[in-house]
Amino acid sequence: MAPKKDPKAPVKKAEPAAAPAPAAAAAPAPAPAAKTPAVDLSSVKIQFSADQLEDYKEAFGLFDRVGDNKVAYNQIADIMRALGQNPTNKDVTKLLGSPSAEEMANKRVTFEGFLPMLQTIVNSPNKAGFEDYVEGLRVFDKEGNGTVMGAELRIVLSTLGERLNEQEIDALMAGQEDENGCINYEAFVKHIMSV
Amino acid sequence: MGCGVTKSNQFHKHPVKAIRAAVLIQQWYRQYVARMEMRRRYTWHIFQSIEYSGEQAQIKLYNFLGYLMDNFTPSSNERNLISHIFRENEVCRDAEWERHFCYKNIEVPEIYSGPHLCFPLTVEQAVNMVEAFRNKKQLHSRYVLQLLLETWKLLRMLPNISRISTCHSKEITICGDLHGQLEDLLLIFYKNGMPSLEKPYVFNGDFVDRGKDSIEILLILFAFLLVYPTEVHLNRGNHEDHIINLRYGFTKEVLTKYKMHGKRILKLLQKIFSWLPLATVIDQKVLVLHGGISDSTDLGVLARVDRHTYVSALRPPKKKKQQSSTGTSIDSDMDEDWANQRLFQRRASLTCPKLTVSRDGFLNRSLQDFSDRLKGNVVEGELKHCQQRATLVRLGSLRVEKESHASPDSVASDDAKEEWKQILDLLWSDPMSQDGCIPNELRGGGCYWGPDVTEDFLTRHNMQLIVRSHECKQDGYEFCHNRKVLTLFSASNYYDVGSNRGAYVKLGPDLVPYVVQYQASSMTRELTARQSVGQTERSALKVLREQLFSHKSDLICAFKTFDCDNTGVVSATDWATAVESVMRLGLPWRMLRSQLVSSKRSDGLIDYQQWFNELAIKGANADHIDQCLLETLYRHRSTVETIFRIVDTNNSGFISPSDFRQTWKLLSAYLKMEITDEAISELAVAIDSNRDGAIDIDEFMEAFRLTDKKSRLERGRSMFMATAPDLTALDQDDERV
Repeated sequence: MAPKKDPKAPVKKAEPAAAPAPAAAAAPAPAPAAKTPAVDLSSVKIQFSADQLEDYKEAFGLFDRVGDNKVAYNQIADIMRALGQNPTNKDVTKLLGSPSAEEMANKRVTFEGFLPMLQTIVNSPNKAGFEDYVEGLRVFDKEGNGTVMGAELRIVLSTLGERLNEQEIDALMAGQEDENGCINYEAFVKHIMSV
Repeated sequence: MGCGVTKSNQFHKHPVKAIRAAVLIQQWYRQYVARMEMRRRYTWHIFQSIEYSGEQAQIKLYNFLGYLMDNFTPSSNERNLISHIFRENEVCRDAEWERHFCYKNIEVPEIYSGPHLCFPLTVEQAVNMVEAFRNKKQLHSRYVLQLLLETWKLLRMLPNISRISTCHSKEITICGDLHGQLEDLLLIFYKNGMPSLEKPYVFNGDFVDRGKDSIEILLILFAFLLVYPTEVHLNRGNHEDHIINLRYGFTKEVLTKYKMHGKRILKLLQKIFSWLPLATVIDQKVLVLHGGISDSTDLGVLARVDRHTYVSALRPPKKKKQQSSTGTSIDSDMDEDWANQRLFQRRASLTCPKLTVSRDGFLNRSLQDFSDRLKGNVVEGELKHCQQRATLVRLGSLRVEKESHASPDSVASDDAKEEWKQILDLLWSDPMSQDGCIPNELRGGGCYWGPDVTEDFLTRHNMQLIVRSHECKQDGYEFCHNRKVLTLFSASNYYDVGSNRGAYVKLGPDLVPYVVQYQASSMTRELTARQSVGQTERSALKVLREQLFSHKSDLICAFKTFDCDNTGVVSATDWATAVESVMRLGLPWRMLRSQLVSSKRSDGLIDYQQWFNELAIKGANADHIDQCLLETLYRHRSTVETIFRIVDTNNSGFISPSDFRQTWKLLSAYLKMEITDEAISELAVAIDSNRDGAIDIDEFMEAFRLTDKKSRLERGRSMFMATAPDLTALDQDDERV
C-alpha cells in the first residue's frame, strides 16, 4: 500500500539526513563531527562564564535525585534542554559514546564530566529560529493558505525523525486545532516559542 | 490513514524537508518538556520546603508552650492562657466520659435536612451519609457525637497493630493521606467501590487538616468502620493529633461547622485519635503505616505500648511514677522536654541531602535561652551523632544527673523514651536514598531512614514490603529502596490545582501492588499541562515572595555583608548566596531569580532595596505600626494565629483585651521581639473592635494582611476547592495563561 511504503523510504535516509538537517541553515562544519563515532570530551575547551557555570551547577543539582552530585546518562539530554539547548537524542547518545540501554540507566556523570558535553552541544550550530520552524511546517501546507492539517502533523510527528508518542503529541497540540482540525502554523510557532 | 494519498505526495516532494520539520518540532517539544519539568520540580521543592518548615515550626511552638507550662508558676497568667491544651483528661472512668459526651439531650430540629443516623449503623445509612456529604449536607452534632462515641468504643478494643489477610481472594485497597479532600475520597469510592465484605480497605492516616472537609472524611471512615469492623482498618497519621490540628485547619473547621458543640467534638476526637491503631500488617508480609521506620523500630514494642496514652504524639504521657515524694514532677518533665527539644533542633537540611546547611534561626536561639536557665551540660556538638539511640542513652544519663535523688525511675523512663521514640518514628519518618538513619530535622520529628535499614527491618520481621504515606508525590505514589518501600498519597492537587495526582493501591493474595491513579477536580482537566504548571508555579512564587518579604531585615543584613561599599547593589551570585543563608530552604535561587526580581538592570546586578519595594505588602491599618513588628508578625502569622486560637479557650473567635495583652507577652517571649505596651495598644486600636472591646481574631489577622486567602499552604484552606470565578480572579495578575 502506497502510503505505508513511503514513510519507510524517508526513514532510511534519516540516518545521514538527521545530521545535516539541523545544520542546514549554517555551514556543513558540524556534519563531520556528527559522523565520528564518539566526541573526544577531554579536548573540549570550556568557555562558559563564571555566572553561567553557577547557573548550570544549580540546574544540575536539581536533577540529582540520589544525592551523590551526579546525574544518570539518561538524564543528560533533559538537563541540556532545561538549560536551553536543543540536542536530538541521537546527538546525546553519540556524545556519550553510544552506551547500551543499561549503561544509560545506571552510569552516572559528575558536573565536571557534564560540562564538556554541554559545551559540545552549545558549540554545534543547530539553533533554529522562528523562520526555520515556519519553513519546516510550510512543507505540510498543501493549500498554501497558512494552515496545516492537525491530523497530518500528528502522523508526521509519530512516524518521522525522533518519534513522539501519542501522549506527547496530544500535549503538544492541545488547543491548537480549530474546528476544522487545522492549525495556523505561524501562530503555532509563536505559541511554542513563547514558553 | 485517511489522507494517505495527499501525504504520499508531500513525502515524494520533500522527504528531507519533511523529516527536518519533524525533527525540529520534536526537538523543540522535548526541550519544552524538560524546561517544564524543571519548573515543576523547583515549584514542588518550594511547596515542600515551606510545608515541612511549617510543621517544624508547629513542633517548636508546642515545645515552647510545653516549656512554659513547666517553668512558669501555676498562677502565672501566661501559663493559664495555654494550660488547657495540656490538661490531662480530668474525667477518668468510661461512664463519666459517656456522660460528658452525651448527645441524648441534643435535639435535632425539624428543619434539619441532613442525614439521620440510627444505631447500630447499617451500610445503607453509611452510603446515604456519603451521598449527603456529596450534596454538601452537614451531619447534625447529635449524630456526630453519637457516631464518635460508638467509634471510640470500637477502637478501644482494637490492638495496636491490625493483622489482616488476603485470603478468600480478597483484594485489599490501601489509601494514603486524604487531608480533608472529600472529592478525592468520593473519587476513590467511585472508581473502586465503597468498603464492603468483599472490599476491605486500609486508610493510612492523615485524614484531616488542610482540606476543607476533614470532619466529613472522618465521619465516613468511622461509619464504614462501624459497619464493617473487620474489613475497614484505620492507621493513625501524624495529623491525627490535636496540636497539629491547631495550626493546620482541622480545629478551625470543626469549630466553624459546629459552633455549639465543636469543642466537645474536638475533645472526643482527641481520645479517638489516641485510640487509632498504629499499623496494619497484611498476610504477615506487608507492613502498612503512616510515616515509616527507623533503625530501632520494633513491632514487638509497638504491639505492647499503651497507645492511647499518647494523646499527642508530640508529647510523651506523664509517668505516674514521677509523682513520688522526692523531687518534683515539674523538674523531671522540664528535663525531658528540654532534652527532647534538643533532639529536634534543626541541623542539616535533608530535602537536598547534598546541601548541608546549619540552621540557626531565632527559634534555636530561644531554645538556647531555655537551656541557659537550666545550666545544661549537654552541648549541641554532643548531639550531632547520627545514632538517635546513642543520643537517647546520653539523655538518659543527663536525666539521672539532673535529678537530686537516685531514681529507680531512670530505667523506666528510658524505656518510656524509647517507646515514645518508636511512635514518633512511626508517624513522622521519611525514607532517604543514602544508607543509615538520621534525625529528621526538617520536619522536626522522626527520622530519615535508608535502604539498609529497610532491608534489615524486613529481614528481621520476615516481611517483604512497607507501604507508607506522609509525603506528597507527583504521581500519587513512588517506590524506593529497591521497590521495598511504597509511598502512597491519596490527596490529589495537594499543593495546588494540577500539582499532583492521587493514588491508591490494591493488594491481592500475590501481594503484588497494583497502583491506581486519579486526579480530582474538573478544573484540572480543563487546564493544559502548561497552564497547570504555570498556575502552581505562580502560587508557589507568591508564597515564596511573602516568605522573603517577612525576612526583610535579615536579608538586608546579609546583602550588606556582600555590599561593603554600600552601593545598594549586589551581584546575582552574591544575591543567591545571601538569600539562601537567611532562608535556608535549599532552593535553586539562581533559577528563581528572574521570577522573583522583576526589575532588571543592564549590568546584571540587583538593587536589593528596590527589590524589597517590589515585594512589599501593605496592611490596611498598618501604616502607623512599626515596620519591624509588622514584618515579624507577618513571618510568624501561622504561629500568631495558632496562639490566639489556643488562648481563645471557649473557641468563640474573640479574645478579651486583657488576654490579648497577655498573648502578646507570650508571643514576644517566643518570637524574641521587643513589644512595648504602647505597641500592643496600637495593635488593638488598629482593629475596629465593636464587641465590648473584645478582639476578633479573624479581623485581626485580616487587618494586617496576615491572611492570604489564596495561599493554601499556611491556612489549611484548599485553593483547589475554590470555584472557577475565584480561579480566574487569580489569573488576573498574570495575563499569560
